[in-house]
Amino acid sequence: MDVSGILASHNAKLDSLKVEKETPLDVDAGYLTVTDPNPIDEESYNSNLEEHLQNLARDGVQTLLASLFTLPTLPSPDGPLAQLSAPKTHLPRAKPLPKPKPLTKWEQFAKAKGIQKTKRDKRVWDEERQEWVNRWGKEGKNKEKEDQWIHEVPANADVDYDPRKAARDERKSRVAKNEKQHLANLARAQGSGLNQRDERKQEIERTLASSRTSTASMGKFDKKLEGEKKLRGVKRKFQPNETSVESEAKASLALLSKMESDSKKMRRDGPVPDKSVLNVRKAVRFASKGQGGVALGRQAAAVKGKKGGRKK
Amino acid sequence: MLRTIKPKNARSKRALEAREPKEIEDPRTAIFVKGTHTGEVLNGVMKDLMALKRPNAISFSKKNVIRPFDDPTSASGSTSNQSLEFWSSKNDATLFAIGQSTKKRPNGLTFVRMYDGKVLDMIEVAVENYISMADIKSAKSTPGHKPLMHFGSELFDTHPRFMQLKSMLMSFFNGEEIESICLTGLEYVISVTCAPTPASLNTASSSTESTALPKVHIRTYTTKLLSSGTRIPRVELVNMGPSIDLSLRRHTPPDPELLKQAMKRPKLKKTDVEKGLGKKRKNMEVDEMGDLRGRVHVGKQDLGKLQTRKMKGLKGGKFEADDGEEDGEEEDGAKKRRTS
Repeated sequence: MDVSGILASHNAKLDSLKVEKETPLDVDAGYLTVTDPNPIDEESYNSNLEEHLQNLARDGVQTLLASLFTLPTLPSPDGPLAQLSAPKTHLPRAKPLPKPKPLTKWEQFAKAKGIQKTKRDKRVWDEERQEWVNRWGKEGKNKEKEDQWIHEVPANADVDYDPRKAARDERKSRVAKNEKQHLANLARAQGSGLNQRDERKQEIERTLASSRTSTASMGKFDKKLEGEKKLRGVKRKFQPNETSVESEAKASLALLSKMESDSKKMRRDGPVPDKSVLNVRKAVRFASKGQGGVALGRQAAAVKGKKGGRKK
Repeated sequence: MLRTIKPKNARSKRALEAREPKEIEDPRTAIFVKGTHTGEVLNGVMKDLMALKRPNAISFSKKNVIRPFDDPTSASGSTSNQSLEFWSSKNDATLFAIGQSTKKRPNGLTFVRMYDGKVLDMIEVAVENYISMADIKSAKSTPGHKPLMHFGSELFDTHPRFMQLKSMLMSFFNGEEIESICLTGLEYVISVTCAPTPASLNTASSSTESTALPKVHIRTYTTKLLSSGTRIPRVELVNMGPSIDLSLRRHTPPDPELLKQAMKRPKLKKTDVEKGLGKKRKNMEVDEMGDLRGRVHVGKQDLGKLQTRKMKGLKGGKFEADDGEEDGEEEDGAKKRRTS
């Protein structure tokens, strides 16, 4: 088979694509740029500017495309993706290089053990309901225990064992633990500006300062021990003795409403039961010797039965 | 100046993290600002440049008093500098195109580049001939695609001012480092060429201030790829516009210290070293398993002075022939070592 003819025609086609210049064009494929280091031809520039510019550009683009189309490609739904090489020209950055962040405690451990990070999906398959449920978030599976309508309570549980509350507390404690670990990581990343000893020292000084001002006169008339720092900016404010009726009334009403409101409550008890003198919970506990209401009931039934038996 | 924002929810935290510096940077956002007086020409130029730069372009609608080339120590100069820094940090933009037309400098367009919140360098050009995109009736390219760039003149490699202009225009249009590009998406090319170099520029002795720098022509063409029978298509260009002729006016070169910081590149990752990038090191190679192996060259060892384990019990033997005894003892010692 004579292939020389085909080869010749192929070469002829390739020749038509070749661009001949005195100095070869400098192609920077990484930035899709081509620079033509040849000096501008004055005659063609002066004769027809636009045509000259267009010809120059065409030659440059042809060379650039030649190099781009010879790059290795990956198929993609939009067409062939050419894998670009690293750019040759260096352009200045817009922002400084990021500083490498120190690894967190877990990341160090994982790196040492070779544990890979696996990404978990937001949805998880629930066998019982035969559908995809959120792992967390709205109607998430992590709140399943709290939202149940019935709970199994173990026999040795407390009188006031609230399974819903227990489940919720467990979840909240996990969140709190994670937050604590996160803060500890951040503090470690910031660089231990203060090591443990100095941190403890600062803490002690802070408590000392607050205890010194915890007197009626804000520590002004206390004898200062040697070695104690001088406290600054501590003054006790006195309201004027005579105020107008309106302001006094307003202050009292505000105080009352603050006392009644729930916003600054220290202990968040539930709704207070009817204000009987007897604390039923404590009474049951005392009477049953810690066994609980059910045990008390059993005892009472046994006594009744015995009594009834005896009477007969 | 700008208060540091502490994120209050996850969304603002993500937005803040998106603005943090990254190893491979996002494309630069450009702000187009109008000075106290612009003309029809400048308005058109800025509108067209913004169209080419979309979507990474912000246009300020109001006119602002800004004089970028004033001395930064003077009152008006420092406020201009402060304005640029404030706009840059507020909009997370690192490029500016300021249009200002005065009687002394008509149709002036200033390109400013920022690094780390500070002005890196500025170039002022005068727009001489301008034909807008709307005036050239042809099909336009899709906005958002990356342009090809072509620089035609040897001055772009040799003359410092033209090198700065080339770097600035590359940062403006094409500064993003990308890994791959869809070959069908190469739609248009921005061609920047100079007028013929006057002879006086070539001689090294002549001072640069006295000679006039040649004009710069910016043309934008859409590429038409024609099949050529081989894998590489033949390209034909169609003028798309805008077509702008500029002449260089003032400029501020970048501060060398700041430039050195800005040009720092991230350290080459191991994968790149394996590929063969980085300095060619003769004692490192990647073997068949893909591991990076190095050779450490130790000097020639004097085996006579080799440090071995000292057996105190073997040290005695001064009253008998040394060589014979030593051999025997060494054998004994060796045997002892093996059994232990």
